[in-house]
Amino acid sequence: MKIAYSNLINFFEEHPTIEEISNHLFQLGHENEIVGDILDIEFTPNRGDCLSLLGLARDLGVFYNVIEPQNYYEDYIAPLDINFKNHSPEDCPNISFLRIEVDEIPKKYKSYLEDYFSVFKLNKNNFFTDISNYIAYEMGQPTHCYDISNINGDIEFISDDINEDFETLLDKKITLSGKNCIFRSNNEVINLAGIMGGKSTACKKNTTNVLIECAYFKPESIIGKAQKYNLHSDASYKFERGVDPSMQEQVLRRFIKIVSDHTNIKVVEYTNFLSKEPPLKKIKFDSQKIQNIIGTQVQDKIYRDSLTKIGFEIKENEIIVPTFRHDVVHQNDLSEEMARIIGYDNIKPVSFKINKIKSSKNIDKENLLRYFFASKGFNEVINMPFTSRNISSLRIDNPLDSNRGFLRTTLEQSLIENLLYNEKRQKESIKLFEISDIYSINKDGRVEVDKYLGVVVSGRVGNNYKEFSLKLDSQYLVELFKIDKSEVFEVSRDGLDTKIKNKIFMVLLKFNELNEKFDKLENQEIQKINFKKYDQISDFPSSTRDLSFVLSDEIKIKKLEDIILNFKTDNLISAFVFDFYNNKKNNQIKIGFRLTFNSKNKTLTVDDVDSEIDYIVKSCMEIGGVEIPGYTK
Amino acid sequence: MSEDTGIYPKLNFEFGTVHPINQTKKYILDILSSIGFNNISGPEIETEEYNFDMLNIKKTHPARQMHDTFYAEDKKYVLRTHTSPVQIRAMLNNKPPMSFASGGKVFRKDDDATHLPMFHQVEGIHIDENVNFAQLKSLIFQIIYEIFNDDIEVRFRPSYFPFTEPSAEVDILSKEGKWLEILGCGIINPVVLENCNIDSKKYSGLAFGLGVERIAMLKYEVVDIRDFYKSNLDFLKQFK
Repeated sequence: MKIAYSNLINFFEEHPTIEEISNHLFQLGHENEIVGDILDIEFTPNRGDCLSLLGLARDLGVFYNVIEPQNYYEDYIAPLDINFKNHSPEDCPNISFLRIEVDEIPKKYKSYLEDYFSVFKLNKNNFFTDISNYIAYEMGQPTHCYDISNINGDIEFISDDINEDFETLLDKKITLSGKNCIFRSNNEVINLAGIMGGKSTACKKNTTNVLIECAYFKPESIIGKAQKYNLHSDASYKFERGVDPSMQEQVLRRFIKIVSDHTNIKVVEYTNFLSKEPPLKKIKFDSQKIQNIIGTQVQDKIYRDSLTKIGFEIKENEIIVPTFRHDVVHQNDLSEEMARIIGYDNIKPVSFKINKIKSSKNIDKENLLRYFFASKGFNEVINMPFTSRNISSLRIDNPLDSNRGFLRTTLEQSLIENLLYNEKRQKESIKLFEISDIYSINKDGRVEVDKYLGVVVSGRVGNNYKEFSLKLDSQYLVELFKIDKSEVFEVSRDGLDTKIKNKIFMVLLKFNELNEKFDKLENQEIQKINFKKYDQISDFPSSTRDLSFVLSDEIKIKKLEDIILNFKTDNLISAFVFDFYNNKKNNQIKIGFRLTFNSKNKTLTVDDVDSEIDYIVKSCMEIGGVEIPGYTK
Repeated sequence: MSEDTGIYPKLNFEFGTVHPINQTKKYILDILSSIGFNNISGPEIETEEYNFDMLNIKKTHPARQMHDTFYAEDKKYVLRTHTSPVQIRAMLNNKPPMSFASGGKVFRKDDDATHLPMFHQVEGIHIDENVNFAQLKSLIFQIIYEIFNDDIEVRFRPSYFPFTEPSAEVDILSKEGKWLEILGCGIINPVVLENCNIDSKKYSGLAFGLGVERIAMLKYEVVDIRDFYKSNLDFLKQFK
């Protein structure tokens, strides 16, 4: 919420700077940013009482002496004769109506009203709606103005299943459905309560005779409707977070005062429909309890004075919670008040000890299995569980989109997608695994859960000269994990978006059946975490080149390796020996290196790669006694 | 193919990697375990009762709205929005004093450059007689100093969680001089203790929760949270 500093300081006897107020707001838990003369403040959802100048000043009252600069209409107000029926007082326990008729609409606004629109760069609507908006900013209570000339009959407040069209005062047409709180007149919805009024009864620039409604709607009666109909308004924001249930008459008296500041009032009438007084919340005055919760000393006098300054009343041994503080119910709430006032950073930490208990074995087993797979060259993936496939799947009521309407019942699809993703990035040896809970719906409609291990492999066995020419297959998995051949299955590439022909093999095992298969896991070493800065990956394709050297002196094998495997160029990202052959008969050694180049900024051209290759080859040739048959610069 | 010779090239056998999020989750849970927290786990598919009601999250709380929480099977189930239901089950099944930590996947209806519909949390609770906010602060300092450095600047600021009162959010000061939020914590709301049949007049508790992705991003200096879930081998292989 945006609050003008120039407005806020009118509420204090002192004249604090905007920075000082900002720091105090922060101490109280109201994150804020200073933008020129404006404090842009983020309030937690339990502090609806702070969503106004008055409310914010009240909360800052612990630091400053608060004065209420706004004036109210103090005279007698004649009773309003209105045919109103509240059919749902449990949703709206308190509602007031005010009728005002004025001689003429003012041509200019007083500076305090004019400034509100200019400071926040707001568009004006009409005289009465403009005052309504200003009052919501000043006092936190939304009001709604109807043009009386367009109300033809009784008014009812209804909370019921409503299925009919409604056009808002902002010309948006919606169809109401399900339970809604509405105002109806002459068989027409004239207001979606607490959210937005209707077009048919909206005030216009020349409206001089208005009915102003000022209500307390329970937050639970309003919540979700603005979202449902995409009708977010300042009113809905405030009502959802809770307004003061006992300030409606005061707000309307302020309304009259502002009108009278601008023009001559011909008629003013008021009535209130109160079905239930707001409950008076009382909490025992117990500073020792507060001290116990915070863990720091709280003196009686400071406690008493602090609460009084922010609107609490203390009578003997009882604290009476002000009606605007919906969030304060018990001692812990009061302890938070005191902790905020003391300042969280001023509470000294007190050390304590927790008696250790042995940890669960099942979680350890899951981690051991992870490190076992990593030690075998597999990389763990974590996938989102959402899918479009419904195979006895848990159905999401409110999915992000139609492709994510269910929870997956197998890891297969995700792992295949991971495999294809990496194949498209020129990865030749892919070994992935995932451990995840899988959910399904059984015949009785109940959720069933199983933890699964999924493994997928395809391509070369490894990036080294012993494994490079070998292909990952079913036998590889059987031997590596000592599992039964029947537990490995081949996934067909039919229908997959790929031209690669390597066979895909997969293992899907229930976690609770893994014990016998990985029975020596307790000896698995767990690597210590290494928090080194990660190197941002490239979105561009990589290029691969092979360099095959011929040499006769074995000593030069290591020299070549030292140069190539440690070579640094702008784009060389990996190198390994993919081929090695020592023909002792001919005294000829062949050693092949595979180099991969990749740029973070662009797709590399042939020339880009060639220039780096030339640089590497030149360094290698300096060893002497090595050659690359067929290589020409 | 190689033949027997005295000198061979390096075999370059590649080790794989445990996912950096699972490494970080384990790292945090190990720290908590060393302090005395007992690791527990629980279901990812929950009911409104365990995910919200027992935690004092009222029907009007914005987090319960369809735009924030994934519901399933006509609202019969909720994809847990935090790991707190695990703590609820622990409180129902144990008697104080107790100290539990849990880590796992949680779900929120978000999907943009900085939010994912699934992410990971680690939470802890400690319940005993006379547990207070000053002790909570001490514990949080201990955890943060262990994860980062003991010279890192830390600040506490008031916040709001229905299940804790008082509640706090904790920030650390980055190298660039920016405050970064890293965890939420508080004194367990007595309503929650009573919901779990724990006498709130005798016992009090503290609770805290960390986002695993947040910690991993800070520790590894990963900029884009979405990189964790692309399953890109160039990314994953860096976390050895």
